[in-house]
Amino acid sequence: MTTKHISGAFDRDLEHAQAILMKMAGLVDEAMLRAAEALETNNLEMADAVRRNDKAIDELDESIKIDCARILATRSPNAGDLRTVLTVMSIATNLERCGDYAKNIAKRTSVLAHAHPVKDASPALRRMQKAVVDMMTDALNAFTRRDLEIAQEVRARDREIDEMYNTLFRSLLTHMMEEPHSITACMHLHFIAKNIERMGDHITSIAEQVIYLVSGDLPDDDRPKGDLTSFSNPDASGGTA
Amino acid sequence: MDDLEAINRDVDTNASKISARHVQVHYGDTHAIKDVDVDIMERSVTAFIGPSGCGKSTFLRCINRMNDTIDICRVEGDICIDGEDIYDRNIDPVQLRARVGMVFQKPNPFPKSIYDNVAYGPKIHGLARSRADMDEIVERSLRRGAIWDEVKDRLHEPGTGLSGGQQQRLCIARAVATDPEVLLMDEPCSALDPIATAQIEELIDTLREKYTVVIVTHSMQQAARVSQKTAFFHLGSLVEYGDTDEIFTNPKDSRTESYISGRIG
Repeated sequence: MTTKHISGAFDRDLEHAQAILMKMAGLVDEAMLRAAEALETNNLEMADAVRRNDKAIDELDESIKIDCARILATRSPNAGDLRTVLTVMSIATNLERCGDYAKNIAKRTSVLAHAHPVKDASPALRRMQKAVVDMMTDALNAFTRRDLEIAQEVRARDREIDEMYNTLFRSLLTHMMEEPHSITACMHLHFIAKNIERMGDHITSIAEQVIYLVSGDLPDDDRPKGDLTSFSNPDASGGTA
Repeated sequence: MDDLEAINRDVDTNASKISARHVQVHYGDTHAIKDVDVDIMERSVTAFIGPSGCGKSTFLRCINRMNDTIDICRVEGDICIDGEDIYDRNIDPVQLRARVGMVFQKPNPFPKSIYDNVAYGPKIHGLARSRADMDEIVERSLRRGAIWDEVKDRLHEPGTGLSGGQQQRLCIARAVATDPEVLLMDEPCSALDPIATAQIEELIDTLREKYTVVIVTHSMQQAARVSQKTAFFHLGSLVEYGDTDEIFTNPKDSRTESYISGRIG
């Protein structure tokens, strides 16, 4: 639907909510990038800035929810408009959670700066972070262009993140067994990896919302999942599965 | 328990009550309805929506042959109720209208008492054998119209003395007094305030337990609230017909989407 509403104010309301969502997406994207950079370069000032800026993300989330509630109450949107409002609300929630994860990574960065460094973990985390940031960019592109194909492709990509997380999980586990003095650092790195893995899940949810927005149906087939760490047991022979 | 009832009622709606095929209506030179095919389900509420002049009221009026009263109007095609062609030569339109009741936009009670308003139909169709019989029909109809409690102590006061919303419920009671199978409603709430509208909508929801209801409405939200099926008319054609939930969240035709989202009118 590209044609305008008879009521121009309705168009402005919908555009405004989506513009705020894009502004919020920009802040979350920046938080994700800077949290990664702060971790990699031990930049505590940058980590601190990420923690402080989360408030702005939360405020935008709240403002989007208020806008959407007003549109629902005053315009009673139908069809594509209804799906737009529902999708904007849902994506805002996903973005807000991603912002929280970035903030959590930044908090752990401050602790890690004083801990024993862990060999090999940093490049693996960097790869994972780059993959989720790319996923986020593509998911938001799919939203602005209403592109079903990109959304489906992003949704399928979550499996790669899960697999990266599995690998990192195994290597951190090994590391902790071999060098008990690194357990504190490894635990923090593991939570950071889990945060990134969870961001991947939220971005997948954004992609699914775009699929619903464009097609009117939520994807119902089980998407490929790769996070198998819930089943892992380091004591069992063969380690994690 | 309510949920279970709702499920049961939805299952009931698999049987077609009214079936229209290739219906064409002309007013003089104007082609008002163009080749409409539709199956209206029994014991359900079907909403007709569409911009002014799209033919939804015209089509509604075909279902009880109200268009017969207009000289220049010509109806072609088949409309069957329970498989019986209502335009058949052997069908008496007056009898038909006892089976297919109608409620109009503006409440139009007769300038008679509340009791006589309701008793009028049963009287002319000879449905009551005694005074007690008639009392019972009047009470049952007023109860179905969800207005009994408000008028039971003043049945012999004029119907025109009631409020707008009460008058409309009286008209619904009058329409159900002849025990029709189908109830046609042409914008029954457009002259009412929001409270009276909510009362009529609640009433429509209970009416579908017994009747097949077809409602023409300009309020999209009303169609979405009260109906199980929705038909969208545009320029005399039936553009889309389907489950109300589907029509309002994910319509198939771009004209339906444009209309229900306020882009064409």
